[in-house]
Amino acid sequence: MESIWYKILGAIITVIVAFIVGLTYMGLSRKITARIQNRKGPPFYQNFIDALKLASKTSAIHHGFMQHIGPAFMMITSIMSVLVVPVLTGDQWFSNLNFKGDLIFLLYIMVFGPLGMALGAGQTGNPNSAIGVTRGLSQMVGFEIPWVMALVALMMQYKTASIVDLINIQQEQGVWLMFSSPFAFIAAVLAMLGMFRYSPFDIVGAPTELASGPVSENGGKYLFTLMSSNSIFAFAKLTLYVDLFLGGASNIVELLIKTFAIYLIPMLYGTVSPRYRTEQAIKYFWGWPLFFGFLALLYAAIF
Amino acid sequence: MINDKNSQKIVDIIQNWSRKHSIWVLAYGTGCGAIEIPPTMTSRYDAERLGVRGAATPRQADVLLITGYLTTKTLKRVIRVYEQMQDPKYVIGFGSCTINGGMYYDSYNTIKVLDKYLPVDVYINGCMPRPEAVLAGFGKLQQLIAEGKANGATKYKENLEWYRGNQKKIIPNWVMPEYNW
Amino acid sequence: MNMQEIKENLITHVKANFPEAAEKEFDGNRLDFNVDKQCIPSILTYLKDRLGYIHLSHIACVDWLEEGEFEIIFIVWSPEEKMKVFIRTRIDREKPVMPNIDMIWRQANTYERELREMFGVEFIGLEAPDEFLLEDWGGPPPMRRDFDTEAYADDTFWHRPGREDALDVREEIIRRSREEIPDFAKKYSR
Repeated sequence: MESIWYKILGAIITVIVAFIVGLTYMGLSRKITARIQNRKGPPFYQNFIDALKLASKTSAIHHGFMQHIGPAFMMITSIMSVLVVPVLTGDQWFSNLNFKGDLIFLLYIMVFGPLGMALGAGQTGNPNSAIGVTRGLSQMVGFEIPWVMALVALMMQYKTASIVDLINIQQEQGVWLMFSSPFAFIAAVLAMLGMFRYSPFDIVGAPTELASGPVSENGGKYLFTLMSSNSIFAFAKLTLYVDLFLGGASNIVELLIKTFAIYLIPMLYGTVSPRYRTEQAIKYFWGWPLFFGFLALLYAAIF
Repeated sequence: MINDKNSQKIVDIIQNWSRKHSIWVLAYGTGCGAIEIPPTMTSRYDAERLGVRGAATPRQADVLLITGYLTTKTLKRVIRVYEQMQDPKYVIGFGSCTINGGMYYDSYNTIKVLDKYLPVDVYINGCMPRPEAVLAGFGKLQQLIAEGKANGATKYKENLEWYRGNQKKIIPNWVMPEYNW
Repeated sequence: MNMQEIKENLITHVKANFPEAAEKEFDGNRLDFNVDKQCIPSILTYLKDRLGYIHLSHIACVDWLEEGEFEIIFIVWSPEEKMKVFIRTRIDREKPVMPNIDMIWRQANTYERELREMFGVEFIGLEAPDEFLLEDWGGPPPMRRDFDTEAYADDTFWHRPGREDALDVREEIIRRSREEIPDFAKKYSR
């Protein structure tokens, strides 16, 4: 009975920590991008100031009930994803509300958020939002396939569908899953470039593309909700990658180092690459990442 | 909850501090002065260290930069854009054409004094102003926000009839939707 | 063939079909023809189809206020011989009417709309929406020379009054150019 209370309290603290760490990482990415471009960038806490400013706008204009609810769908998705992923292993406080078979549950939940945003953007009647939403959803068709293949390969190889079991297998084997099933790792990293929506796959939310796509009619408090849910969702995805491929983390410092190392991959690749159109992005995802996904499935079936 | 003047002052200080350090500028160049905005935002005269970044739509922006001259054709669209922005919002008049007509003082098409149609907070003069002058203008806007004096939006709401009268005199074919503050 | 031979060839061809065309030669690759108003569609079609002047560069208008006439100029260009030909006509200023050459080149539509709005020249048979550059314009055509833009601007718009301590620009420049420049500005001075 007491372990449930520990877990619930730990889950609430996890959401707050995810919010803070996510916003800090986004601010750090702006600073690193600026230094690469030979200028001093904003301070690393700039995204907190942006969030405070958006929350203190005194008027909130909306065009109906669905647009009012749209950002709430994204927030629900982010918080549910964070609550299911185990943050610190072997700890009775922070192993969160996970259960057997939660890997399949996560695959469904991570798609639900953008669908809610699409409903909200559809009610505004702005044609830019509608086109941006179709672009985002069709790009999601692209990167979901290598991602699902990598996870199915992992599930087949180790005959389990629970994240905690995979962490325990890594600790028993003594070697991380990054090395013992390499093709799944490569396919998952290539799919991660599409998940984080940095360059070259940022055609959905960039300010110069169709007046920023689905968010073009949201301002003020709705934008604050979207920014926070984006940061919480990013933390959930990073922690998932650390748990699956890098052996989990047993204290907070190790978790921060490992998530930042994974976060550097899409960010640094984004500073040097231009933007793909939607059909070019889908063609890319159905090329090499699909090939590595097939190799991962073969590797899992044979060994 | 305590709701007296002192706690309101503390909330105002925190809100003004956050509004001061993160200004989102609408990416809309109305006149020929807009050619000085890309150098200000890019690597050499970096405006992002002050927190200034470009915003895509009027719903997300704080500041409307009127760069240079405004013809009557553009004024109709700019008024519509200004009324779509969310409070608190500021207007910066860029260049000497917004002050007294500038180089086009005898043109049949441009308006001469911007202050009669939109409430302006800060003027930056020059033709065009250099990027250092633009950064100084943003610094002055930050100072006005911190003191709480940058309230062009409330001035617009209170004197709406006066502004509307001036606008309708210049623009004969007035087609604007109803207001929803 | 060099430039002189091309020009003489052109003059003989044009004069054989349009005897009233008066030509004028310039240095370089330019040649002028002064024709009547009614010959305009036929001479332009002849230049485009037979002689290879396939590119319409511009349609311009000159306001001769003292003589009471407008002069419309068509500029055509041939990419093979690299020669530009100006076709000029004069029309009456009180009621300016011109034939429409929309069917020969499609881009003439844009030029004719601009002339109709800015100078008041009417093109017969031009089908295009009314407003092009000026929106809700009620005054006279603005590019004519007898339209005083400063008086119109003083009438319609409110000017900001000058400052009480205003300085004269020319005297200030003369005075300041004799001042001592500080050290940090020396590398910017001429």
